[in-house]
Amino acid sequence: MTQVLTAKSLGIRITLCLAALIVVMGLCTLVGSQKVSLEKVFAGPGRSPGENIDYEILVGIRLPRVVLAALIGAALASAGVVLQAILRNPLADPYILGISSGAGLGVIVAIISGITWNFCGGSPLSVFAFAGAIATVWLVWLIGHVTGKSQVTSLLLAGVVINAFFSAVIMFLTSITKSNQLLSTILWLMGSIRQQDALVLRISAASILAGIIALFIISHRLNILSLGEYEAKALGVDPAKTRLLAFSFSAFITAIAVSLSGLIGFVGLIIPHSVRLICGPDHRQLLPISAIIGGAFLVVADTLARTMFGQEQWPVGVITAIAGGPFFLVLLARYSRKVSRLK
Amino acid sequence: MNKLWWLILTILCLAGAGFFIFRMFPDQGTSTAAPATAVNRIVSLAPNLTEILFALGLGEKVVAVSSDSDYPPDAANKSKVGTFWQPNTEAIIASKPDLVITEWFEQQKSVAESLKRLGYNVLTLKIETIEELLAAIKDIGAATTTQSCADKLVQDITNRLDNLRAKLAGTKKVKALWVIQTEPLRVAGRNTFLNELIELARAENAIGPTIQQYPSIGTEELLACGVETIIQSAMGADNITDQRQAAEKFWSKWPTLPAVKNKRIYVIDPDTTLRLGPRLCQGLELIARCLHTDM
Repeated sequence: MTQVLTAKSLGIRITLCLAALIVVMGLCTLVGSQKVSLEKVFAGPGRSPGENIDYEILVGIRLPRVVLAALIGAALASAGVVLQAILRNPLADPYILGISSGAGLGVIVAIISGITWNFCGGSPLSVFAFAGAIATVWLVWLIGHVTGKSQVTSLLLAGVVINAFFSAVIMFLTSITKSNQLLSTILWLMGSIRQQDALVLRISAASILAGIIALFIISHRLNILSLGEYEAKALGVDPAKTRLLAFSFSAFITAIAVSLSGLIGFVGLIIPHSVRLICGPDHRQLLPISAIIGGAFLVVADTLARTMFGQEQWPVGVITAIAGGPFFLVLLARYSRKVSRLK
Repeated sequence: MNKLWWLILTILCLAGAGFFIFRMFPDQGTSTAAPATAVNRIVSLAPNLTEILFALGLGEKVVAVSSDSDYPPDAANKSKVGTFWQPNTEAIIASKPDLVITEWFEQQKSVAESLKRLGYNVLTLKIETIEELLAAIKDIGAATTTQSCADKLVQDITNRLDNLRAKLAGTKKVKALWVIQTEPLRVAGRNTFLNELIELARAENAIGPTIQQYPSIGTEELLACGVETIIQSAMGADNITDQRQAAEKFWSKWPTLPAVKNKRIYVIDPDTTLRLGPRLCQGLELIARCLHTDM
C-alpha cells in the first residue's frame, strides 16, 4: 500500500460505507417472521395495542433490534481493532482481557441472588454484567501494570489467568443453581440481541458512539504504536498513555455491548482482520470502516438468526460463528495469495 | 491516576451529551394498556401454563402457544410463537393477544417487558414449587375472570394431595434416588422440586444434603446410600421402552444395590412429573406407585 490516505478519500470511503450500512439496516428491518405491510406502518400507531400490529412489529420490535445489532457489531469490531493493535497480537479479540468471564460472573451472581430491581430500565442482569466486565478489566489492567515491564505480555497473561479463574468460579456457581436458572444463564451468555428498554437503548447508543469516536481520535497514535514501543517514543507518542486510553475506551464499549447482548463471538476477531486485508492496516481508516462493517455484519447475522428457522429464534452467536468462519477463511486465502504475488 | 479520572469524566460527559441529543426524539409506542375487561385472545409461553389454561376451560380462547405445548392434544394444534426458551415477540404480536402469560425467568421476562412497553397486557408467573403452582392458578383465574374454576381446580389438587398423603400415611419410608442422567450419574439433590415430589410420595432422598442442586455422585456414594428405588425421568416421551432397557443394562453393573437386586428401577414419562401443571397429581400418583408397590 503506497498510496497516502487523505482526509478527502477517507471521508468518501466512510460515507459510502455508512450509506451501505443504512441500506442493509433498512432491508433487514423489512425482513422478519411476520409479513408487514409498509402502507399500514405509515398509518402510524393505533390508539390501543393490537390495533395496528404492523406498526408495532416494525417500529416497536424490529427497528430497535436492528439498531441495537448495528451498535453492538460496531462496538465489538472497533474494540477488536484496538486490542489487536495495542496487544500486537492477531488473536486478540474484545474478550481476551477477561471481559467475557467478568460479565458471565456478574450475570450468574445476579441470577442466583434473584435481584429484580431495574436500574434506569436496564435489567439486573445487564447491570451486573456491565459491573462485572468493568471490574474484571480493571483488575487485569492492575495486574498487568504491577507485574511487568513488558506490559503487553503481562496484560495478556493476566487476562488469560483471570479468564480461567473466573470460568472456574462460574462453573462452580452454575452447579449450585436450579436447573432452569442454569439454562437461562447459558442462553444469556450465548449471546442474542434482545429487546431493550428505550432508555437503555439511548444511553448505550450514545456511550458506544462516543467511545468509537474517542478511539477514532487517537487512531493515528495506534499507527505509530504498531511500529514498536521504541519507535513510538522517538516519534513523540507515549506508548503507556496511548495504551491506557485505547484500552479503557475499548473495554468500556465492549462492556456495554456484552451487558446488552451477552457474548457474541467472531465479530471482534474476523471483521478487523477482513477489513485490514481489504483496506490495509492504517488505523485511521481501519477503525471507522471496521465499526461500520461490523455493525452491518451483525445486523445481517441477527436477521438470519430471527428468520432462518421460522418462528424459532436462534442465538446470534451461532450464526456469526457459522457464517463468519468460512467467509473469513476464503478472504484470507484470496488476499494472502494476492499479497504474496505483489511481493 | 489523575488521568484516569479525567478519562472517566470525559466518557460520562460524552455519554450524557449523547443521551440528551437522543432524548429529543419523542417516545413511540408507550400507550397505556386498556383495563382488562373480558379476555378473549390468550397467548401462553410455557407448556404448564397452557395446561392450566385448558384446565380452566379457556382452551377456546387460547390463540397461540409455545412450540412445546403439546397437552391437551388441542393445544398442539394451536399456532406457535417460538420455543419456551426463545419466544418470538413478532409472532406473539401478530396473534393479536389481549393477554400474554409468561414464566418468570430472564428470556421470557425480557419478552414480557417489551410487550408491556407496547401496552400489552402481560401476566408473568413464577412457578417453581407446588405452592407457587396453586397461587399461579389463582392468578390466572383472576386475570381471565374464571376465579370460580380456578378455586375449584386448586381445591381438586389440594384434595388429591391430601388423599394421597392419607393413603401413604402408614407405609414405610423408602430410600429413593431421582436420576437426571446416567453418564455421568447425576441425581436430584435435597433442595429441588423433585425432592419435594418424592417426599410427598413418602420417600426419603437417598442422597443427603449437598451444595449442588443436581449433584453428580460417584460409585462410592451410590453403593453406600443403600437406595431402594431408583426413578429416572425419561428424555422425551417417545422411546421409553428403549430407555428402560438402557437403564436396566446400566444399573446391572451394581447388582448389590437393593434397588437393582429387587428390580426397582423405573423410567417414567417426564411430562406429568417435571411440568408443574394441573396434571401434577397424576405424576405424583405415578411416583407413589413406583415407590410403594403395594398401592
